[in-house]
Amino acid sequence: MYHDHVAEELTETLEQDTEAQDASAARLHIETWSPEYGAPLDTTEEVVSGPIDCQVETSDWSPRPPSLEGCPNEVAFVDGVRRIEARLTLDHPDDGPVPGLMAAFGVGYVQWDRAGRRSSIDGIEVERMLVMAGGYRVGLDTGPRFPISFESVPGDDPSELISHLQRRMRSAETALVHRLAGPDRLVIADGPIREVWPHPIVGYIKTHHVMYLGKTERPIIGRLRAGQRSPLFLIETRLPRYSWYLRLADLMGGHSWTGIVRGEVAAAMGINQAVKTANWATGLLPGLASEGHLDPRAPQNLVPIGALERDLRRNLGDPGLTIRALRAAVRELMAA
Amino acid sequence: MSNHYGQAVGRVIASEHTNTTEFKVVLHDDCYLQLDDLVMVETEVPGFGSVRTYGVVTESEGIYEGASYESDTFRIAEQGILPAAKVRSAKVAITRVDPEKWVAPDPGEVVYQVSGEHRDKALYKDEMGRALPVGIGKDGEPVFADLDFFDGRKGGHMSISGISGVATKTSYALFFIRMLTAHPKILGEGAHNLRVLVFNVKGEDLLWLDKPNRDLTVEAREEWDLLGVEPTPFDSVSFWAPPRRSSGGVSLPDTGGRIVGINTFAWTPREFIDEGLLSFLFTDISDLRSQISFVEERVRSQLRRRAVDVAGEPGAVVLRDPSEAKALGTQAVRPDRGERVIRSLNDLVEALEGYLDPDDGEPEIAWTGRTQSGTVSAFMRRLHAATHRLGHLVAAGESRRVDRTQATITVISIQTLHDLGQRFVVGALLEETFREKEKSGQRLPLSVILLDELNKYAPRDSRSPLKEMLVDIAQRGRSLGVLLLGAQQTASRVAPEVLENAALRVAGRLDAAEAERSEYGWMLPSTRARARIFKPGTMVLSQPALPVPIVLTFPFPAWATRQEEVLETEDPFQGL
Repeated sequence: MYHDHVAEELTETLEQDTEAQDASAARLHIETWSPEYGAPLDTTEEVVSGPIDCQVETSDWSPRPPSLEGCPNEVAFVDGVRRIEARLTLDHPDDGPVPGLMAAFGVGYVQWDRAGRRSSIDGIEVERMLVMAGGYRVGLDTGPRFPISFESVPGDDPSELISHLQRRMRSAETALVHRLAGPDRLVIADGPIREVWPHPIVGYIKTHHVMYLGKTERPIIGRLRAGQRSPLFLIETRLPRYSWYLRLADLMGGHSWTGIVRGEVAAAMGINQAVKTANWATGLLPGLASEGHLDPRAPQNLVPIGALERDLRRNLGDPGLTIRALRAAVRELMAA
Repeated sequence: MSNHYGQAVGRVIASEHTNTTEFKVVLHDDCYLQLDDLVMVETEVPGFGSVRTYGVVTESEGIYEGASYESDTFRIAEQGILPAAKVRSAKVAITRVDPEKWVAPDPGEVVYQVSGEHRDKALYKDEMGRALPVGIGKDGEPVFADLDFFDGRKGGHMSISGISGVATKTSYALFFIRMLTAHPKILGEGAHNLRVLVFNVKGEDLLWLDKPNRDLTVEAREEWDLLGVEPTPFDSVSFWAPPRRSSGGVSLPDTGGRIVGINTFAWTPREFIDEGLLSFLFTDISDLRSQISFVEERVRSQLRRRAVDVAGEPGAVVLRDPSEAKALGTQAVRPDRGERVIRSLNDLVEALEGYLDPDDGEPEIAWTGRTQSGTVSAFMRRLHAATHRLGHLVAAGESRRVDRTQATITVISIQTLHDLGQRFVVGALLEETFREKEKSGQRLPLSVILLDELNKYAPRDSRSPLKEMLVDIAQRGRSLGVLLLGAQQTASRVAPEVLENAALRVAGRLDAAEAERSEYGWMLPSTRARARIFKPGTMVLSQPALPVPIVLTFPFPAWATRQEEVLETEDPFQGL
């Protein structure tokens, strides 16, 4: 067992690059994702890190095949989308300008009936909120067509506002996962797992902010073929979890991390159940990988999730209408 | 879900604009709308109240919502990994807004497939003066046409187009006539003494109109019942055919399958001259271009001035000096020794030859005018040809002309005649019918004329006395109660005056290229596209009372259309 903070290593690599080191041994690649989505190898945003144990499943770090043995027929994919509708400023005479924003998020899931070969979207919930920094709370009448909740965050850091929105969306997702989880359904939820579940729930992570594998294990990534996974490794955080890498697709001209996603399950379910669940995910997900010419985040953005996101965005409503309703409400408030 | 309007099938689509000509319906999962179905939407107009928008389905569509790429089809339907919603919808062309507030139907409103009273409203039946059932709609209910637009009150004539071989044009025309004759109450005063003149131009399809069809099925009977008509053949029909060329002294009709019950018809030289039938021998396209028509006119009037009846020989004439003929009037004379008695077309032509093209000497200017000898020769050549082709239609003796008063339907069988002969007979009979009505100046009794292959008799791009007459009928016949039921394969080859004057327009299956022509502009684009795959028995009808054409079917004929179809009710060998 060894402990490792891969994030640091990655930063090192980047620094080496900027110092114009010799890159002749490496190959240069263009990321497959559209640039506006960042890259599957991204170094910002929420990070799960802690001591790593790479020996929990096996010490033989070679690619593992999938297995669908005992896999439930029903698979649910949970995801959410958020949208910032407007940024506001409260021109306070004492505290100066106070930032705020109006945002909306929607969560929902895709139910995949594997035997019936059909998928459907359900459980869509949309919320719209107006968040002010500095603990301020403003009330606006945006009419019955635009129900809004008025919330605030302490402090005056604008990034807090986004984090608040993200937290609210994640907790709605978590509530939905909670509702869906059961012994007869495999739930694939976007992002790291956030609670301990007795049921098969897989956190699905598309971007790799942290390098969890040490130098010894890392070459396995290059050896994974589509539909194979790495052995499980344990990440010891507040919520211990088993995690693995799996390759969704062999992409022509891709680098070794192209088409790689990371899955995780709560360690509380035990190593045996974790191996099973990892095998299921490894067997199912490559068949759901999106294609480069169809999805800007291919192959990691799975087909059902892409469709769910499209549907959720549509459910957020027309942004033009929202901003119009907000403007009218502000005007009314100021006139009063 | 259904209420007094009918069954609720879906809602007006919200993602597209509605307007006053069309809208789309998104359908409930357990409902469907097919082409030609009739629907209704109720819309609340602010400050006015509710209006009902009626329409007819012109297109049916379906899509997977959520599929952005064509290959998504496999992800949705085969692998099932892409969630998508199947959405079916229908396009509706608006036929009516009641009360008449022309506003678009509201998006999101419930759409009903109408029945009963509201179906009648969608089809304007409530506004028709005299609604005659003219077919069965896709919903299995009768479709009506306003007779005011056929019998001359507000409009007249019917034009039927469609490719031949699928037995639609004539069949529909006869079905329509059956409806006319079987519903005297609807037809009103026009039903009294109604006369229908039918020309059988191909096969012998129409020679069995009075015989029941043994292939009539139970379903077809039910359709006839639905239209309020007994599935029986026509009860008042007379059949007429030209005599056989060589039937000796007996006058046998020149028909193949049927001989019994068929009258022969012919004109006597006297009738031929009096009615100026000579002009119908010159109906060829080339005839009017040349001076021939000038000669023909002169000859025609000379004959009229000179013909004198022959005593003891009805119908035969001799040609005398005009002054003598005038003095004699209708008095018959005994022919002088050696004087030529005209008993047939051949006699007439030979007599004319003596005046126009004598072997010795000059032609008489009274007959030829001052036309060049070439023109006269051409005139004579055509006369000789006519003698050869239709000489048997002119013969002295008792009058054997067609008696249109004998029965309601008069079928003239001309399929055995050469083109020239067919044109002659059609021309002569139309002339007779039209002049008769012209003389009376009355619209009633009605006289209906069914003529197929109108493109032959009234072609678009040429002139002939026959075409002029048909154009005349089309333009003035309406007010004189002469109603043309014209049929043609290709409307684009028929004189536009004839087509434009038809208030009721019907089309069966059309040739693909033909369907695109402007002559079919009255059809909806979707119907046009479908017209090339119409089944036999499916027609589309346009009438002034209804802003969109309606697709309909009509029942299998209750009368035989071939000898083999005749249901023998008695033993044909009885008494032998």
